[in-house]
Amino acid sequence: MTVYVVRRLLQGVLVLFLVSLLTFFMMNLAPGGPSSLIDFQSTAAEREARLARFGLDRPVHERYLVWLAGAIRGDLGTSINQGLPVSRLLAQRIGPTLTLGVASLVLAAVFGIVFGVIAALRRDRWPDHLVSTVTTLGMSVPNFWLGIVMIILFSVQLGWLPASGSYSIGRGFELGDRIRHLILPAGVLAFSLMPNVVRVTRAALLEVLASDYVRTARAKGLYERTVLIGHALRTALVPVVAMIGLIATVLFSGSVVIESVFGWAGIGRLAIEAANGRDYPVILGVTLLAGALVITVNIAVDLLYAAVDPRIRHG
Amino acid sequence: MADVAATAPSRAGARRAARARVLRRIARRPIGIAAAALLLVLTATVAIGPELVPHAPSRTNPLNVLQGPSPEHWLGTDELGRDVFSRILSGGRVSLAVGFFSMLVGLTLGIGIGGAAGYFGGRVEAVLMRLVDVFMAIPAFFLILVIVTSFGNHPVTIVVTVGLGFWAQMARVGHAEFKRFRTHEFVEASHALGGGHLRVMTRHILPQVLPQATVLATLGVGWAILTEAALSYLGLGIQPPLASWGAMLQNAQGYLWRQPILAVWPGLAIAITVLAFNLLGNALRDVLDPRS
Repeated sequence: MTVYVVRRLLQGVLVLFLVSLLTFFMMNLAPGGPSSLIDFQSTAAEREARLARFGLDRPVHERYLVWLAGAIRGDLGTSINQGLPVSRLLAQRIGPTLTLGVASLVLAAVFGIVFGVIAALRRDRWPDHLVSTVTTLGMSVPNFWLGIVMIILFSVQLGWLPASGSYSIGRGFELGDRIRHLILPAGVLAFSLMPNVVRVTRAALLEVLASDYVRTARAKGLYERTVLIGHALRTALVPVVAMIGLIATVLFSGSVVIESVFGWAGIGRLAIEAANGRDYPVILGVTLLAGALVITVNIAVDLLYAAVDPRIRHG
Repeated sequence: MADVAATAPSRAGARRAARARVLRRIARRPIGIAAAALLLVLTATVAIGPELVPHAPSRTNPLNVLQGPSPEHWLGTDELGRDVFSRILSGGRVSLAVGFFSMLVGLTLGIGIGGAAGYFGGRVEAVLMRLVDVFMAIPAFFLILVIVTSFGNHPVTIVVTVGLGFWAQMARVGHAEFKRFRTHEFVEASHALGGGHLRVMTRHILPQVLPQATVLATLGVGWAILTEAALSYLGLGIQPPLASWGAMLQNAQGYLWRQPILAVWPGLAIAITVLAFNLLGNALRDVLDPRS
């Protein structure tokens, strides 16, 4: 077990290393890389001073090694536009993103499993068709547009919920205020994640319900509810747990856009600001953080997988 | 020789029967047919529509900004007085083109690289699939951000970038399928007859993978359109003066309190188009790939 975790962590570190290599060289070798920051109206001496300040006067492989040596010690460089350490920027922005991510993941999992179970139990009847219509819509409607429509409805027309931000400025921490700000972005993000959960739950439950041991349980005269909750659902949820690892990547992509729609000061918003300002160290840091989170979630899911399914043992 | 002559007509017959079976399955899926018809209409409209509309999509009119729908401007005008209907049509041209070509990029790379990994196995497989892992670990949108910031937002760059956003997923499928078929007898037979790797891969295995690839490709176009719209919405995609649905949404968000309807049209256009691709993709999966 420990060996397994250590091996997975090492593999994860290797993947992160490759991600950093890919990202760093792509950004630094591309036309219009960081060197394009140079203001051509400045004197040659000023330009050289500026390049030297960011270490850009050295060849790219040396810069990568310098960056890597720093990164191992937790120093991800300095933001070109904000002049702050990248690690500090990431630390400031990770909280809101995790809040939004966890909230939408929980919403998507709960509603996805409930709807998936309903669809499986009422297969090929109207509840199943309704659920399948809603999930197809969830896959097709752009989540940023849904966000805007929700703002029009609940903020502009009804005035019930705030249109932007993660808290009311000028007020201290109030749980109610935070939750009111969270409802729209988390709801919209959850709606776009839900279809995957619904599909996997429905398919897994249908397969389990057709299996022999469920027939045995029914033949023993157990209540349908006991069969469903105690026997069928437990097994059916195994692939659903596996699905959550996949959803994590979709979640990060989605939060980039949703954070922009709702002015949510998280990692995604930081990434967009950095992309628009060509702030390379920040983009690199954000990409690595996202990759690290995805890898961590996947390892956690694999361990959880073993906990849910006794047949799986990580030796 | 006699054997060959005897089996040839029956093989043609079997093929005809298989085709008839597929056609019958298609006929039982009216939603898929409706989606295909809708896509044909949409494509035709964005192809010739922009040439027919009375208002040029980029003609501004400062005296007529943020108007609601009227007989003159069917969907109203935007913050610069441009006709929204014309802009939706020319934006659709861009969206559909980007969606289609991005899908081609992703599919070609994915099936090519994944297929090679599955077919050759061993060290080739180990290296190529680790590359796939790296791409799977970066959430697609971050990867796209990195590329667009490095290489700018020329339309061709956008197409390649969006394609790169989902090639890894295609590669997983290509890998699994080519691996499954590589030990089949027809592959061995072709090798025995002197068929090279390239010939076996493209002439014998690829056709087997084609049904599943068609389904993935159809769903992929929808995904690519959504992604391009999100990029343009964030100001990183197709740039003005070219109209794009995502950029129209971004502009409209600045006027939510004055003219909220402006934010409805581009989103509706995206949703209907992507919905059509998803419905068609699902119907095709039922017809072509009954295993899943």
